[in-house]
Amino acid sequence: MRILVLLKQVPDTDEVKLDPENGTMIREGVGTVINPLDLHALESAIRIKESGEHELTVVSMGPPAAEEALREAIAMGADRAVLLTDRKFAGADTWATAKTLSAMIGLEGPYDLILAGEKATDGETGQVGPETGAMLGVPVITYVSRIIEVGEDGIVVEREVEDGRETWKVPYPVLLSVTKNVNEPRLPTLKGKKKARNANIEKMGSEALGLEPSTIGLMGSPTRVVKINTPKLSRQAKLYEGSELIEGIARLKALLKPYLEVNHE
Amino acid sequence: MKYNSLNLELLKELQSMLAVPIKYDEETLERYSRDETAELKAVKPEVVVFPVSTEEVSDVMRFANRHLIPVTPRGAGTGLSGGAVPAFHGIVMSLEKMNRILEFDAANMMITVEPGVITGEIQKLADRHGLVYGGDPCSSESSSIGGNIAENAGGNKVMKYGPTGYHVYGLEVVLPSGEVTRLGGKMIKDVSGLDLIHLIVGSEGTLGIATRITLRLLPKPKYSVALLIPFPDIDTAIAAVPKLMTGSGVVPTSLEFMDASSIKAVCSFLNMEFPYADAGAHLIVEVEGSSKDSVFDDYVKLGESAIEAGGLEAFVADNRNTREKLWKARKSIAEALASISPVHCMEDVSVPMASIPELIKFSEEIARERGLEMIAFGHAGDGNVHVSFIKGDMPEERWNEALPLALEELYAKTTGLGGCISGEHGIGLKRKKYLASITDRAQLDLIRGIKRAFDPSYILNPGKIVDL
Amino acid sequence: MSEIWVIAEKRGTQIHSSTYELLGKARELAWKRGSSVALALLIQERPTEETFRNLFRGGADRVMIAVDKSFERFDFGPYIRVLKEMVSQRPPEVILAPATTSGRTYMPGLAALLGTGLTADCTGLDIEEGTGNLLQTRPAIGGNIMATIKTPKHRPQMATVRPKTFSPLGEVYRERGEIVDFPVRPELVESPARLLKFDSIGEGEKGVQDAEIIIAGGMGLRRMENMAPIYKLARMINGTVGASRKIVDSKWIGHEAQVGLSGHTVKPKIYIAAGISGAVQHIAGMQTSEFIVAINRDRNAAIFNFADIGLIGDATEILTQLVEAMELEVRK
Repeated sequence: MRILVLLKQVPDTDEVKLDPENGTMIREGVGTVINPLDLHALESAIRIKESGEHELTVVSMGPPAAEEALREAIAMGADRAVLLTDRKFAGADTWATAKTLSAMIGLEGPYDLILAGEKATDGETGQVGPETGAMLGVPVITYVSRIIEVGEDGIVVEREVEDGRETWKVPYPVLLSVTKNVNEPRLPTLKGKKKARNANIEKMGSEALGLEPSTIGLMGSPTRVVKINTPKLSRQAKLYEGSELIEGIARLKALLKPYLEVNHE
Repeated sequence: MKYNSLNLELLKELQSMLAVPIKYDEETLERYSRDETAELKAVKPEVVVFPVSTEEVSDVMRFANRHLIPVTPRGAGTGLSGGAVPAFHGIVMSLEKMNRILEFDAANMMITVEPGVITGEIQKLADRHGLVYGGDPCSSESSSIGGNIAENAGGNKVMKYGPTGYHVYGLEVVLPSGEVTRLGGKMIKDVSGLDLIHLIVGSEGTLGIATRITLRLLPKPKYSVALLIPFPDIDTAIAAVPKLMTGSGVVPTSLEFMDASSIKAVCSFLNMEFPYADAGAHLIVEVEGSSKDSVFDDYVKLGESAIEAGGLEAFVADNRNTREKLWKARKSIAEALASISPVHCMEDVSVPMASIPELIKFSEEIARERGLEMIAFGHAGDGNVHVSFIKGDMPEERWNEALPLALEELYAKTTGLGGCISGEHGIGLKRKKYLASITDRAQLDLIRGIKRAFDPSYILNPGKIVDL
Repeated sequence: MSEIWVIAEKRGTQIHSSTYELLGKARELAWKRGSSVALALLIQERPTEETFRNLFRGGADRVMIAVDKSFERFDFGPYIRVLKEMVSQRPPEVILAPATTSGRTYMPGLAALLGTGLTADCTGLDIEEGTGNLLQTRPAIGGNIMATIKTPKHRPQMATVRPKTFSPLGEVYRERGEIVDFPVRPELVESPARLLKFDSIGEGEKGVQDAEIIIAGGMGLRRMENMAPIYKLARMINGTVGASRKIVDSKWIGHEAQVGLSGHTVKPKIYIAAGISGAVQHIAGMQTSEFIVAINRDRNAAIFNFADIGLIGDATEILTQLVEAMELEVRK
């Protein structure tokens, strides 16, 4: 079986800066790590790979610095890593990202099982997985919290939704997005790290993928960030400090008092 | 000792010299009669005061001298030996409101702070300026620097940076009399007079109250990598410690160990999985450096030496995701312990590194004999072991009987191995009677003499470390 | 005239409250734009007359229903194919859907098929003067930043909105409207995916999402034990305990209590943020609360910018004092 994991690299820092011009993230100067939620997808894939004769590829779209994140995936157990990198990919929204990823999958495909994390910790949209699935025309199961059985003719998974837990069986090819409940990602071993250091990260640009500039990057993105602003003081807080605190507590008490009475009647 | 107690008039007088309201309601008194030492029998203070300046601290000490009332200084209350809880009622002086960063001096790589500043805030501020504060107790998110100084807190980076005292270069101290003295400054070298700074550091708030603290900062290494190395048993793990250093030629920043029970406890507490969870022991080895390549070379050498010395595998955490996960596990053991069994006794014995296995084996034996459960974790690189006895389901009466006996045996063994009964938590109330029994007379007299020289009326944190 | 669409969220055969919240917002946008509102409902059996009436009352001019037993539980393929077909028959200008597990799955799928843009988790929606473009505002990571996003050249403009972000219409819009039955051709709902089992867990007891008063704790409390006065206060006033992401990550409290982008969006009458600094992700989850109280020792904490009253000091201490004062009140 051929397994593919979609990885996003996120900056290895808590403090992200935004470009005030176009509202995209400034990624230069900080190392990158695999989006923590994608690690669960990668772990799922590695476990499946280890259970039989399967080939595991990871793919990411991003700047050259994203290599670092892909090396970590190899250190953990991926067989090969592909970085989709091209200046023309810059500024892509989720649609253009999915377009680029699905072009790579179309070119290399077919993959039997495609795994993605629930969402990225920076953008928090969770859209690239289902968008890619729809572009490829494969079934999509999101919010997978458990992989129950990886069979010859399909995969059985559990998904967690608002009102309960569903168990689905889907034949390959299929795209799954997993939540962090699905497993605990492993740490890479020293041996893995050494192997990853010299591993070849395959790179593909827009030409190799046969993508028109009008369908990728900022140009190919239907959405535009038009304004970035720090939310203005939406509320003017009355502040209580030092000796006024007692007054503040009294006000809070008065505010909550009606609920107290309701509850004790 | 006979002290006076506070009547309403004295409370009024006390309040008149302080900006922040004093407190003496039951709940406050109860809260300030405890720290994080499990099962400590302390007494309640009569009042809690919150000075906001050196002058106020000094005024309270003069007041206490005048009226012969004991004063227990207190930081964030995260102590593990009962150092900041009263032995004789009186006043608890909480320094939590003296929490300002007074100066950040980048040119001299020094920071000056008040005692109530949370240690983690100093770490974060230094980090933002490309510097590092080398003190790193596990409690750094909640303990304050004043308390760290009182206990000479150690922690996870002692291998490379030393304990808290190594970073303290200047102190303003309010003496028990209320007089104020300034020690040291921003000089790296200073042999003018006695080294009183390092007499104050670790004195558990019995000799004076630090009100201004100048700490040295160091350049921040750009890259850190933590290795997690499982071993079949404690013996192999500890024997590997010197081998992995000499084998690699690298001094790690941290070298921690956790026994199988610690791992089990923390995994269930954090609901996480650990590789080789059934291994006898795990080491965490952290190394820092200025370039990616040099750190890579260092950790590969360390990891390979560890495997050669019997390590089952070496896992590598070299980014924020993985490093945080590893350290979270290590730093949560104490909390995990408290959640398994609120009644437990976390010890802090310190022995020559190579004696750790013998110490742990001995502890296991005495625990088994007395029907206690036990876990062990700590700082393999410096020989500081947190042997912890757990009450679990044992009936209270049996626990109360078994624990003191186990402790006595543990301490005797520690001393026999050339170790000491506390490496970083302090003597406080918890270990006072044990210290007296294992320290020679000449030294006890010296300690008492120093205490009298500083505090002739015996009002500052009395009843701690040794009795007069 | 072009329409604004809302895609209905259902639980079983019941319409979920998030549908009415979006109808309310869509109605508001439609008034501004001079357009009408249509609701798309994919459901396993034809709803009752009362359901239709509620949808019209809630703001819909038109209700399109696709009835097929495959819609009993959400399945990606059938959903996106049927919705795509509905759109192609009468292309709307805007499509809104709740950001639930299903909405967050079919909306990207549909956007991909339609070749248009989609903005996740919008906290503000508006119509741009002049162009009539939909202005979609959502929090962006990296400080207190909100990004406004447009889909200038593609139609429809698509957005998901978390439940509890907007309010249902305050008045009755209309009693009757147009009902359109969409014929579901079998090939549209063919799916290789098979549902083997469904274990209903209900939506639990009253969680933060439905609470009237929330007292939420953050890292400023420093230690898990310091949560005690929060629980105490919550018991006294029948409130619900909430949490910032950091203390959930630290396992002080379960994920179900988490308020913010990666947790729940809440809209209580009173929200008390204790020791929460106010990261944008948290603000995004609670800023629509009716009355916000912030307690934090750092007077520069961002949370004070979003509060109605702010108490500067140690949260544990202040709440302890409050609880004591309230206990006195009870005794009286």
